[in-house]
Parts: sequence; structure tokens; C-alpha cells
Amino acid sequence: MSAYRTHMQIIGDILTTARDDLPDERGASITYLIRKANISHGRISKMLGTLVAQGLLEQTNSSGACKYKISNVGREFLQAYNTFNKFADSFGLTI
Amino acid sequence: MVELFFLENILNLVGFAVGLVIGIISYIGFKNTGSPTLFRLTIAFFSIGVGFMIMWLGQTLDVFVYKTDQPTRWMQTLGIAVQTVGYFFIAFSHTIKSFFPKSNYLRSIGIVPLFLISFISVENIIRSISFILLVYGAIETFMSYFESKRRTVLFVAAGLGALAFGEFLGWYYFVFPQSILNVVSISMKIAGLIMLFVPVTKVPLTKIKFDETLDDA
Repeated sequence: MSAYRTHMQIIGDILTTARDDLPDERGASITYLIRKANISHGRISKMLGTLVAQGLLEQTNSSGACKYKISNVGREFLQAYNTFNKFADSFGLTI
Repeated sequence: MVELFFLENILNLVGFAVGLVIGIISYIGFKNTGSPTLFRLTIAFFSIGVGFMIMWLGQTLDVFVYKTDQPTRWMQTLGIAVQTVGYFFIAFSHTIKSFFPKSNYLRSIGIVPLFLISFISVENIIRSISFILLVYGAIETFMSYFESKRRTVLFVAAGLGALAFGEFLGWYYFVFPQSILNVVSISMKIAGLIMLFVPVTKVPLTKIKFDETLDDA
């Protein structure tokens, strides 16, 4: 049985997809992120809004559709997330 | 007696240093990610560090300032109590809910051993709580190894286990005060604290850029 992901882990998955797994250089669509990060449309819409507002993702309009790319701040956050995820993991915890 | 004083001094200083360093790293992690888990770890390890510091201060003042043979009990009790708060937050991070059974009957039985084991002093009761929290934390941490397969998890589980065993041996010292058990207990605790420090050595702090704008992320 797989464990539920925390809010922080879902953010980590979205940012990782936006950094490492983009379909093209303009960014990833919501549908693509839903599929890759395995999250519902309602939930990802709210999270993407927050991530763009925090400056972790960049939103671009391409052929009438919203696309998302990771920003420099997002890259730094993801690096810190990965480091401290391992640290918390060492204590048997998830961040 | 002099060796015991130095051993206890080393234990308290190592405990303070380990608690402080892990607390600072957890705080940096919390500031960078906003993770509530890292916030709980921050409180836990700062409490453990401060608890050891209080005990060290009490012991040092007794020997060098007040020049008494016996340590000031209230300061030792306060130090242990502050440490127990830290152990509570480690156990709480492993979801403290599973610690308490749902049945009212089992709940009542679960509390009884705390009073049966020791009713002599507040210090003993606090040590009992510390022991239970440490054992719980050690078991939960060890169980998580089967999910992550990370070797540092084993060090942390063994560290918490060694602290718990040291606490357990500390009880026997109250029953047999002249035995070698206190030295073994203190040595176990020092070893436990050193093992807790292992995950810190794996954090590449030079690559982390501290960014205060990420508080609410």
C-alpha cells in the first residue's frame, strides 16, 4: 500500500516535473502536470496559483494556453527541498 | 567520583552541541522550505540542547561555585524536563496518536506503569516519560528504514535506542547508587548523541542558499 503524499511532497513533485520533465521549452501545460504529478485538476489549480504567486513557477501564455516553467527561485527551493527531505528522512520523517 | 563528574560534564556538553547543531540545521531547513516537520525537529533539538545545557550549568555551579557534594536536584529535574519536551516533539512527529490505544481500558492500563515504576520523585517520573518517548521514537524510526532503506535512519534509530537504554540504566542507578551502572548509562547516552549527529554530516550546507522570501512556500 502506498502512503499518502504530504502537501510539501506534491509541491516537490510539481517543481521536479517543471524542472526535469518539460515536454518543450515553452513549459508544461496543466494537463501535462496533472498526469506527471498525479494530482486532481481542482487541487493543482490552487497549488499552481500559489507557486506562481510565490515566484517558484513562471507562467507563460502560449497559443492561448497557460504553460508553466520553473523559475530560479523555484530551482533553489527544489534544491533545498531535496536536501532537507533527505535530512528529515534520516529521522524517519517526511517534510 | 571525579571521573563521574567529568563523564557527566562531557555528556552534557556533547548533548548541548549535538542538540544545538541539529536544531540550527532543522531551522535552516524550516526557513527554506516552510516544512512543519522541520519546525517540530527544530523545537525538539533546541529543547534537548537547552536541557543538557541546564544540567551542565547546574553541575558546574555545584562544584565550582556552591562547592557542594550533591547536585542541585531542581536544576537537574528542570534540565531533564526540558529534554523530555524535545523527546516528545520527536515522538509527536511520528504521529503520537498511535502511542495511545483507542480503548479506554487500555488507556488506563497504559498510564499505570508510569506510577508503578517510580513514585519517588518528579525527576524519576520525567525520566520514565523520556524513556517511553525515546523507545517509541526509536521503534518508529527503525520501522521507517524499511520504506526509505536509508542507512542514516539506522544511525538515528540506534541513537534514540542508546539514549533510551541509557535512561533505563539511569533508573537502576537510583536503586544501586554505588554501582558502575551510571558510568555505563552516561557512556550509552554519549554514544547515542554521536549517532544522532550522523545525518548532519550528510547535509551539503554550502549548496544551500538561505532565502527569507520563501517563508510561506
